[in-house]
Amino acid sequence: MNNPARRLPAFARTTTFRLTLLSAALFALSSFVILSLVYGASVGAAMRRADIAIEAEIAAVEARFDSGGAQAANRYIVQRSVGGGEYLYLLLQASGRRVSGNISALPATPRDAQGRVRFVYDRAPVAGGSAEDEAGRAARGRIVDLGGEYQLFVGLDVEEEERFVGNILNAVLLASGLSLALGLASGAVVSRRFSRRLEAINSVAREVMGGRLQTRAPRTFSGDEIDELSSNFNDMLDRVERLMHRMRTAGDSIAHDLRLPLTRMRGRLESALVEAGDLAAREAALSQAVNDSDELLKTFNAVLSLSRLETGERRRAFEDLDPCAILADVAELYEPVCEEMGLDFVHEAEADLTLLGDRELLAQAVANLLDNAMKYTPTGGAVALRCRRCASGEVEISVTDTGPGIPADQRERVLERFVRLEKSRNQPGVGLGLSLVHAIAEVHGASLKLDDGPGSLDGAGTGLRVALVFPAGR
Amino acid sequence: MRVLIIEDDAEVCAYMAKGLREAGHVAETAGDGEQGLEMARDGGFDVLVVDRMMPLRDGLSVIETLRSEGDKTPVLILSALGEVDDRVDGLKAGGDDYLVKPYAFAELLARVEALARRRDPETVKTRLNVGDLEMDLLARTVQRGGEDIQLQPREFRLLEFLMRHSGQVVTRTMLLEKVWDYHFDPQTNVIDVHISRLRAKIDKPFGANMLHTVRGAGYRLSI
Repeated sequence: MNNPARRLPAFARTTTFRLTLLSAALFALSSFVILSLVYGASVGAAMRRADIAIEAEIAAVEARFDSGGAQAANRYIVQRSVGGGEYLYLLLQASGRRVSGNISALPATPRDAQGRVRFVYDRAPVAGGSAEDEAGRAARGRIVDLGGEYQLFVGLDVEEEERFVGNILNAVLLASGLSLALGLASGAVVSRRFSRRLEAINSVAREVMGGRLQTRAPRTFSGDEIDELSSNFNDMLDRVERLMHRMRTAGDSIAHDLRLPLTRMRGRLESALVEAGDLAAREAALSQAVNDSDELLKTFNAVLSLSRLETGERRRAFEDLDPCAILADVAELYEPVCEEMGLDFVHEAEADLTLLGDRELLAQAVANLLDNAMKYTPTGGAVALRCRRCASGEVEISVTDTGPGIPADQRERVLERFVRLEKSRNQPGVGLGLSLVHAIAEVHGASLKLDDGPGSLDGAGTGLRVALVFPAGR
Repeated sequence: MRVLIIEDDAEVCAYMAKGLREAGHVAETAGDGEQGLEMARDGGFDVLVVDRMMPLRDGLSVIETLRSEGDKTPVLILSALGEVDDRVDGLKAGGDDYLVKPYAFAELLARVEALARRRDPETVKTRLNVGDLEMDLLARTVQRGGEDIQLQPREFRLLEFLMRHSGQVVTRTMLLEKVWDYHFDPQTNVIDVHISRLRAKIDKPFGANMLHTVRGAGYRLSI
């Protein structure tokens, strides 16, 4: 527990909080800078006004002095200070003796080269005012030499101005402090909200890790980024769940479907042991057992390639293909078989089509579809392999037959592994063909559609049309 | 012929060796990649059967090392990895054929024998002859007993493969791989139908059958 971040409350550790804090600090800093500029400008203006007034008053006293000597200056000062005027005066002889004025001594605070001085004084209380108000008032003034024999001081009370700018300064500090505090508070609120929503997703992740795979993140459907995260997260969980479900059912089905041939094989081998005397019977049993094991291997391989397909690894090897050429090859492979079985074989493909995919897989899918079609179509029927571009630009590869068809309510089911409809139980095969085609379609981003075909010869069935529809090219 | 089996599973190894010996070949075995490489370097083998995943040194590395040393002995790779990419990796490393586990022994035997045939001096043949059956690879014509036989392009390739491996067993899977370039397993025996069509053209009119079915394994073209 040496990590200092650990000691912070949870909301303070969030990224949102840190970001809000940063922006609040920046905002407080900038408002401080702006208000400081305002403050500086108003202080400067007030003090400049005071200095100008002081200069004018000094000039007035000097004018009297020049025309009428110290006598005239003294008179002017007395006139001006009678009745508590706003200026402060002091006229001193060079010796330091006070001639006139309304303050007793020169301010003790240091003066600059021009004789300017800032100081604090106590004003004579006026009627009705409080003594407290009059004590320690701020003032500024200037001391000048008057004709070499006298020193003149003129000052001005700036208490009101100082108070005013003091208020501004307080306001500046308060505003900066407030914006920082508000920033902090809003940061805490926003990050709390944000972390609560993220925490909801995190807790779902923990639930899932704990084995409750059905848990889903809450959605707000506001379309914001967290909602999108939840949505993607849920989609991902759906896929994981589907894969796991598939794996489980596949495992179950494999166990179920392999048990029968394995038991059969075991029986044959056992009877071969018993038939020690009858060589011919023994050989027959053994060769049958070998055939059984071949069938088992076939099923096994089919399951393996199905699993590999479902992980989607194969997509890496995709290239631009001419479906026409692929279909021609498969058709060439199957046409003689069709003829042998007494079926009409129709092969129609549009030229100049392309699709992105894997030649081998597509050939395998088409081969599987043809295989199924031939298996279920009675003699005298027809099997058609077609490839065309739909109006929407999609490329469609379809296999149509005149067999019994698949009832609409069963079409979803036949795509699952090892599912074989009741009436096809007597046909060879393990029920992986369509699952494989389905998986190949998924890898290619294509959809697999099962529809009624043109009808069967005896009129009892509907025929079947299976189509692989590939998304329009790039 | 002499075959070296490099495979880490002792039981599978012994079973393969026994099968090959029963078929009239000499079979020696190595239990890991290092030992296999040593034995292969000593030479004298017609075919190497190499398992892909082994302790000490994996199969592809054994093949790559041998090839880099100029050893051209044909190699059959055995592997549990059957994807196209895996196959391509194996052939790139210098393997000549690729067999995915699990497999039937007949399949292994047929492929080993087919590979040994490759050792024959690689003269560029323009004509193939088996008995009175004659194939002109340049003119793309086939005759039996001097009589022209009309073949479809694929039938021609099928017959060419059979003639190049005359006297040997070729399996359905081999034909599907080498003639059609498909590596999947069609559920119906499509190959049988093509063979019987070919038979109708090269055997039936002439009375004497050359294209034989070998039970439990495949086909053989011989006099």
